[in-house]
Amino acid sequence: GNASNRCVYEQPVSFSVSYSEIYLIKCSLFIIHVSVQVQQILRERFCERRLPDRLEGVEAQYKHLLELLRRTAIHGESNSVLIVGPRGAGKTTLLQCVLRDLQKEEKVQKNLLQVHLNGLLQTDDRIALKEITRQLHLENVVGDKVFGSFAENLAFLLEALKKGNRSSSCPVLFVLDEFDLFAHHKNQTLLYNLFDVSQSAQAPIAVVGVTCRLDVLELLEKRVKSRFSHRQIHLLSSLNFTQYLERVWTQLSLPDSFPDKKFAQEWNAGVKTLCEDKSVEEVLQRHFNSSKDFRSLHMLLMLCLSRVSVAKPTIKPADLLEASRMCFADTTANMLHGLSILELCLVIAMKHLNDVYEGEPFNLQMVHNEFKKFLHRKSNSMYNFEQPVVMKAFEHLQQLELIRPVDGSSAKVQREYQLMRLTLDHSQIMEALQKYPQCPTDIKQWAMSAFG
Amino acid sequence: MEVLYHFFHRNLEELLKCIFRSLLVMFWCFEMTRFEILMPVCFSSFAISVEGLSKIIINTGQDIFIEGCDEDNPYVAKVTRLYGDGESYSHKLGFVQWFIRVSELPVNKLKLLGREPHPQEIFYYECRNCDNEVNVESILRPVKVKHLDSNDPFPDSADKDTLYVKLSWDSKVFRVVNSTVVESPAEPAPASSPPSCLKPSLPMSPSCSQSAATPRGPSRRTPANVEAESLHSATKLSASKCLSAKRRNATARTPGVRKRLELSSECLHKDFKMQPLCRTREQQGYIYISNTKSYHHFLTVSLIFLQISPGTPQTPRHATPSIPIRSLQTQQPANILEEARARLHVSSVPESLPCREQEFQDIYSFVESKIVDNTGGCMYISGVPGTGKTATVHEVIRCLQHAADMDEIPSFHFIEINGMKMTDPHQAYVQILQKLTGQKATPDHAAVLLEKRFSNLAPRKETIVLLVDELDLLWTRKQNVMYNLFEWPARRHARLVVLTIANTMDLPERIMINRVASRLGLTRMSFQPYSFKQLQEIIMSRLNKLKAFEEDALQLVSRKVAALSGDARRCLDICRRATEICEHSAADPSSTGLVGMSHVMEALNEMFSSAYITAIRCASTQEQLFLRAVITEFRRLGLEEATFQQVFVQHQALCRIEGLKPIGVSEGLAVCQRLGACRLLLLEPSHLGVLQRIRLNVSQDDIFYALKAD
Repeated sequence: GNASNRCVYEQPVSFSVSYSEIYLIKCSLFIIHVSVQVQQILRERFCERRLPDRLEGVEAQYKHLLELLRRTAIHGESNSVLIVGPRGAGKTTLLQCVLRDLQKEEKVQKNLLQVHLNGLLQTDDRIALKEITRQLHLENVVGDKVFGSFAENLAFLLEALKKGNRSSSCPVLFVLDEFDLFAHHKNQTLLYNLFDVSQSAQAPIAVVGVTCRLDVLELLEKRVKSRFSHRQIHLLSSLNFTQYLERVWTQLSLPDSFPDKKFAQEWNAGVKTLCEDKSVEEVLQRHFNSSKDFRSLHMLLMLCLSRVSVAKPTIKPADLLEASRMCFADTTANMLHGLSILELCLVIAMKHLNDVYEGEPFNLQMVHNEFKKFLHRKSNSMYNFEQPVVMKAFEHLQQLELIRPVDGSSAKVQREYQLMRLTLDHSQIMEALQKYPQCPTDIKQWAMSAFG
Repeated sequence: MEVLYHFFHRNLEELLKCIFRSLLVMFWCFEMTRFEILMPVCFSSFAISVEGLSKIIINTGQDIFIEGCDEDNPYVAKVTRLYGDGESYSHKLGFVQWFIRVSELPVNKLKLLGREPHPQEIFYYECRNCDNEVNVESILRPVKVKHLDSNDPFPDSADKDTLYVKLSWDSKVFRVVNSTVVESPAEPAPASSPPSCLKPSLPMSPSCSQSAATPRGPSRRTPANVEAESLHSATKLSASKCLSAKRRNATARTPGVRKRLELSSECLHKDFKMQPLCRTREQQGYIYISNTKSYHHFLTVSLIFLQISPGTPQTPRHATPSIPIRSLQTQQPANILEEARARLHVSSVPESLPCREQEFQDIYSFVESKIVDNTGGCMYISGVPGTGKTATVHEVIRCLQHAADMDEIPSFHFIEINGMKMTDPHQAYVQILQKLTGQKATPDHAAVLLEKRFSNLAPRKETIVLLVDELDLLWTRKQNVMYNLFEWPARRHARLVVLTIANTMDLPERIMINRVASRLGLTRMSFQPYSFKQLQEIIMSRLNKLKAFEEDALQLVSRKVAALSGDARRCLDICRRATEICEHSAADPSSTGLVGMSHVMEALNEMFSSAYITAIRCASTQEQLFLRAVITEFRRLGLEEATFQQVFVQHQALCRIEGLKPIGVSEGLAVCQRLGACRLLLLEPSHLGVLQRIRLNVSQDDIFYALKAD
């Protein structure tokens, strides 16, 4: 297949083509088609656009949540629950899967209204109430004014919920994403009222909060806390490295339903050999040590996938290594590569000042003196610069936020004497120097010397 | 005299019930001596006249409009008796039979009607304990009330002044009303025929012009030669329109346009044999004097209101918010565990509240006594969340409502507001007004209307029981909301009972300024957290002999909750969760089908155990190392705070010890941020980079414990 691909891409197709060439073009078009499909399936998976058919490792939590919401939908039992887990642990995925499976049930289908709120979007109760009214399609009942005042809205919504009862009104599911942010709203009015409804004989509602904060209950006011049912579903994955590897394998492999069986088999075999590779295992181990969450894994696999092309329809260990290198790249150290020699010298001078004064803040004058000492002592390749030039370089470093003014010292002080701190670690400076293109040797030596 | 006697005699029984004790004494005097001593005098009609306008004559048996809170919809009533009181009978009162408008009906009772009410429909009001005595001054004008059979359609009439009666309303049910009860016996006397002889009436006093609805007092004597103001143009408006326009003008009046408005009441006797006396001036009103000499009185009625009640802004149509109806019926509980779960849900209303008998009794007798005595009062109820404060008050109200239905106590109006269910403390006024009258108003306007309502002798008043939940949220800088809530019950005519609920026992001392705390009074009650025995009893009573729990399991739950908070909600929630766990483990052959100790233990663990330990155990290797690095750095510094840079040095060292490849700064920051997002660490804003300071949000022991167990 490789040869024919190259054919398509490297040579312009002539108008007088032979029969064999037409065959080759057909083949290559087919391969392009397959390749597009592979990209689509895997990208949807990695970008979390498509829910997994079955959740792994969280069966108990899945069952708990499903049962709870089903009871709300079918029995009209009001409930409240919090899903707590670190970022990327699959909280939203869990909830979405439960809702998807719940909607498949006939009894539930038309019996559950959903309201989705996000603490980052609905930043106060006023906005949240409007959003609830809108999502429940109650706004056309309000009358001529689409939305009244905040107070009217609240009274209106509470009235609506109060009118209902357990057996006759349609259950409402409230999903509060970034739940902890709702706890910062004034008086926690929204939370109090939602939980209060869930604990009184009004319209049946289920309140599902999604948050990554483990201390979320401490944020709730005591009355709100008392009304919350204290159900918490924790998503803390205790998966080990073997399971992690398996997960990588399942994430990369193509489903049985893939149209081209032969290609799928080849691809899956390729993935299997990839996972068994020693260097790949090492890289994945490192990732696993760093974080267990699936979002960062997906990020890594996405980088690998983007290196797959029609010309190279497999993932090689080298791709994974390269992707891993990109993932772990130190962004600040990379920024140092773009500095001028003068700026780099200033950074080194700051490092020495930090060493001498144990992290005390410095100002431009001190840095310049340190730099001049270096020039005076052993510089061969560098010349002294004018004060304004050094100042400009210093300001550029500040703009890049490599240095940061000490709080409260700004404004009144002359710029040369403004106290600054270096926001770089020594290891970052040394690493940057190693990779800096054509770095003068004496500067390297200066940086490495124990004192200025 | 004879006529009058009969008149009195017939109504004596009714009068005895209604009039003040002092009056009664006078009647007794009258009965016994038949001498003319100072006593109330009955009239068969009054006349009210406005300068330059046709006058209005009010007869007994006539239907009238009476000044109310809402200018567009004044109260409707039928005059049953008119009489004068006080010295020289200058203070004129009337007894009326009330009609009630659709807008005055409690909103939630409207559905009892079973049909859309006609806008001009009114109901014959049969209520025993309502105040049916009015100041004649508050009468606006006559109105036509027509009785319709309950099946007749409402006539299409554009006449706004004709109202229709079909049913009667006794605050509980609608009944068909007899036409003889409703229809006026006599048409209003033609106002256009002034009597030929007149006598100068007494001029009015400006002191009367403060508020017509102020209670009767001895200071009603009218000094002579004081002019009241009038409209500056004598239009051909009807007197009542003139009057209401007058009232509107009163706010914007200027001293330059003072003219006279003279209103005189005319007392007419039942026999209607008037003797015109004399007529002095065109502008003055008329007074009829009866031929019975002893009843010659010069009476004036002032009809000036200074209090303006602007038309309340009403929403064009009442939105009826509701959640859509479910398409499929709810399933009934299928087995014992499901049944138990339904009963244990906090929302299910128990038949009785166990363990709060004493508190129930206290609140009940407090409210009952206030209702029976027609007085007002405040009560402050405190207790930690979940101790049944609101539930007990609701229970009390339910019982009282039942008693009122049984006619054991006078009926009352229950209103509930909740500080947490409003966006601003001043919304309390709006909500109270809305629930009281159905009116909508801005907070300031609502406060004015309520103030007026509670301070005036308003007709047709039931005792209002107001429950203010989460009182502490009604706190404002000036505390005027709280002040008003506690001030109103003390007013003489308010008939308001305020029950307030909050969490802290010392709220009055802590947040209230003296004048508010003083008005709240000392009637306080505190709900203690439930003891374990009480919690057990609560669950038992809810389960009501349903065998779903093992004895020990219940005891464990109640002991655990009693030790932690004494919150009944928590207790019920744990039990509910335990039934779920039991259901899931039902497949286990050893299970008895009852909720046992193990299930309860699991539920307790789920709800009360901290997730920090599990979270640390489930964290990635680098995250665990970072936590260790934080502790190491804290130990080295001897402080509970360090910058990321400092911790990172330790972290690199630990990596080497553990044989791991040291991580970069970016990766280290990411690890740190992840721990911060879970709140295992407390961090400064992330833009500070390596300079951000770190603190632990868990104890060092917890971290060691979690990491050692590995």
